[in-house]
Amino acid sequence: MNILLVLIPLSMILLGLGVWAFFWAVNHAQFDDLDTPALTPLADRDHTGDPP
Amino acid sequence: MNEALCFHCSESIPDSVVLSAMHGGKSHRVCCIGCAAAVEWIVDLGLADYYRLRNEPASRARSRLADYSIWDKPGFSALYSRHDDDVAEACVLVEGLRCPACSWLIERALRSLEGVHDVSINVLARRLVVRWNPARIRLSNILTALARLGYVPHPLQAAALDAVSQREQRDALKRLSVAGLGMMQAMMYAVALYAGAFNDMDDNTRDFFRWLGFIVTTPVVLYSAQGFFAGAWRALRAGRLSMDLPVAAAIALVYVASLVEALRGGGQVYFDSAAMFVFFLLAGRYLQMRARHHAGDTVDALARLQPALAQRRCGDGRYEQIGVHELRVGDVVQVSVGDAIPADGELLSAQCFVDEAMLSGESEPVLRGRGAHLLAGSFVTEGPADLRVRAVGAATVLSSMLRLVARAGSEKPRAAIAGERDAARFVAVLLTLTALTTIVWSVIDPTRAFPAALAVLVVACPCAFALAVPVALTRALTILARRGVLVVRADALETLPQVSCVLFDKTGTLTDVNASSVQVQTREGTSAAEALACAAALEGGSRHPFAEALRVAATGLPTRSAASLVQHPGAGVTGTVAGVALRLGRSTFAIGDEAEDTSALVLADSHGEVARFQIGEHLRESALSTLSGLRTLGTRVEILSGDAPTRVAVVAAALQVTNWRARQSPPEKLAHLAHLRQSGECVAMVGDGVNDAAILAGADIGIAMASASDLAQARADIVLAGNDLTGLLLAESVARQTRRIMRQNLHWSMAYNVAAIPLAAFGMVPPWLAAIGMSASSILVILNSLRIRIDPPLPLMTSNRVAIA
Repeated sequence: MNILLVLIPLSMILLGLGVWAFFWAVNHAQFDDLDTPALTPLADRDHTGDPP
Repeated sequence: MNEALCFHCSESIPDSVVLSAMHGGKSHRVCCIGCAAAVEWIVDLGLADYYRLRNEPASRARSRLADYSIWDKPGFSALYSRHDDDVAEACVLVEGLRCPACSWLIERALRSLEGVHDVSINVLARRLVVRWNPARIRLSNILTALARLGYVPHPLQAAALDAVSQREQRDALKRLSVAGLGMMQAMMYAVALYAGAFNDMDDNTRDFFRWLGFIVTTPVVLYSAQGFFAGAWRALRAGRLSMDLPVAAAIALVYVASLVEALRGGGQVYFDSAAMFVFFLLAGRYLQMRARHHAGDTVDALARLQPALAQRRCGDGRYEQIGVHELRVGDVVQVSVGDAIPADGELLSAQCFVDEAMLSGESEPVLRGRGAHLLAGSFVTEGPADLRVRAVGAATVLSSMLRLVARAGSEKPRAAIAGERDAARFVAVLLTLTALTTIVWSVIDPTRAFPAALAVLVVACPCAFALAVPVALTRALTILARRGVLVVRADALETLPQVSCVLFDKTGTLTDVNASSVQVQTREGTSAAEALACAAALEGGSRHPFAEALRVAATGLPTRSAASLVQHPGAGVTGTVAGVALRLGRSTFAIGDEAEDTSALVLADSHGEVARFQIGEHLRESALSTLSGLRTLGTRVEILSGDAPTRVAVVAAALQVTNWRARQSPPEKLAHLAHLRQSGECVAMVGDGVNDAAILAGADIGIAMASASDLAQARADIVLAGNDLTGLLLAESVARQTRRIMRQNLHWSMAYNVAAIPLAAFGMVPPWLAAIGMSASSILVILNSLRIRIDPPLPLMTSNRVAIA
């Protein structure tokens, strides 16, 4: 069972990383508007204006 | 569709207009120069995909762009934007922003402007935040670009950038995530402990897992649950009992008890229960908060009534245009006809008519004499008016009203309040039972006192009870919003199933106006074009569908300007064009009481009739199916219209409505409403006009179309986006489901608690089983609420276009 002494701290570190990443995303406006960005990739083209 | 619709805005194109725009290699007809310019610009920017992506037509573009240069004045930029070295930032409310494609278009169009750094748009709140380099582009250029696309920009004060709701939402999301992750970890360690209890885990390993549970639960209790402790502390200091108090007590008790158990190395620990409790409560509150923010956006509609500009008299008698924020008490300002009064003040002119509908609900303009007190936000309908400023900014009546509305928006719906009250009572009973269990067990067998008390507390955790109503309400609001039915006041969902009678306005609600079929008959010696130009000038400031039809019909004709305009709601308008006093409206209003009552709009001067206009309208496609759907549900339907009896009769016959009233003035409509309500009916009113605002507010439920005036929308409980009447049926069916599900939820959580608490009190439920029972009951409530859904679409009954007149 000694493997637990390695795995559990490892899971704790990963958990901390996950929380940190989520906080970063929230603070960088990734969750402010969940409706608009869904449409962006559908027609994302270089908008410098290549002919249609 | 047998008539041409504008490619850009989907309004019908008057026959006299021959304009087109190129898109995708084809030529499409458009209704006006503004729309043609908008299409051309959008295609030029390489944004032609907008027309493929959008799901709602655009607003009609304006041919004449307003002058936005005043927004560049230093006084304005200090108030409306925020500067940081070479980056300025402003928040703009965008009227006409309707769908994600709009936001895509605006974002691309603005980014293509030289000097704009960044644009971010929130469709739900209809706001955009733009960051730009003031050395290379000015705010007025950005606003003009928005106006060219057909949107109406309203810059908001810089304070709007610190969106309170955004901060609140981010904060809640972070706390929720910590609680969720903490809960999962704590449960994992708890499972190991329960498994270990059956397999003789040695004490060291057991303690190791207990302390792991402690480590992951601590941030959940100290960070995520902070709000409950703060709320409980506030309530305690104020000497009140709030829902937070028992919740905080339960969290603290379970956490501290587990810590004590872990320290002395005996019995059981319940860190997982504490974390799960916090998570479910936070999840419920998060959903509620989202619904509240959504509703709060309507406050902006009222805020827009507050004008940003004012005409101040300088020392030399001239007038200068300044920002409202620059006004001081004692200044003299002039307000021209049709404009909103910028600040509370005292009238200096001899007299004027003002429309205070927004503040008093009185739809008729009222006469004010010299010295009278005028209120900011009301409109001058006959003037102009000079006034001396008595109160500015936050001191005005309008501001205090905005604060009221903002507060109303954050108030909880009645159902949720009732739910919380029941829950609080329930918690009081629960705490008593826990105390009782402890006392009785410590007499019989002190070693079992603590586990039994804890089991009672955990098994009967009030989350299912507290979640029963808000989860169901939130689910209902969300799915309705997705289908374009915006429930502004959640109370409306509760009232809707009780509605026994629905009143419909006709023009603009049941019917759409065809601007293309305006027929003009004129007196000899007057040309149709001349009459149309005069009528369009008189209707210049009105948002009635007929007025808009006249203006569209007059596109391309030489523009006239009208003076001393006075609106007579429900009758017509008077004014002077080129020195001739004209009356436009129903025939009895324009010519006199002896005139024959026709369905046409009549334009008359002092000698009698000049011209009459027959404006065509057709039934909305959704009208027939909606009305027959309502009748199937057993709801009575009536039509209340201000229009002529002949036209109302046609619509009523087409829709098989037997109860209809024509030529109704707003007070008559209100009287009829009051009569219906007195006879015990629960009445919903569907309307769109400024003149319907009072009756929308007076009905049990007011429902406005999305095209309705801001005022009507501000007074409505439900707004139907996309002008689709079938939304009404959706709302009705969802409201009925919601009511049923809320009752099931409440009954279930009650039954569960009544059954489980005695077992726990008698020491027959080990705490781990209690924790499972508690979470199962919460999950059941949530899953049950998710059953609320929109039924498969009704078979669409396509009504043939019924043309009227």
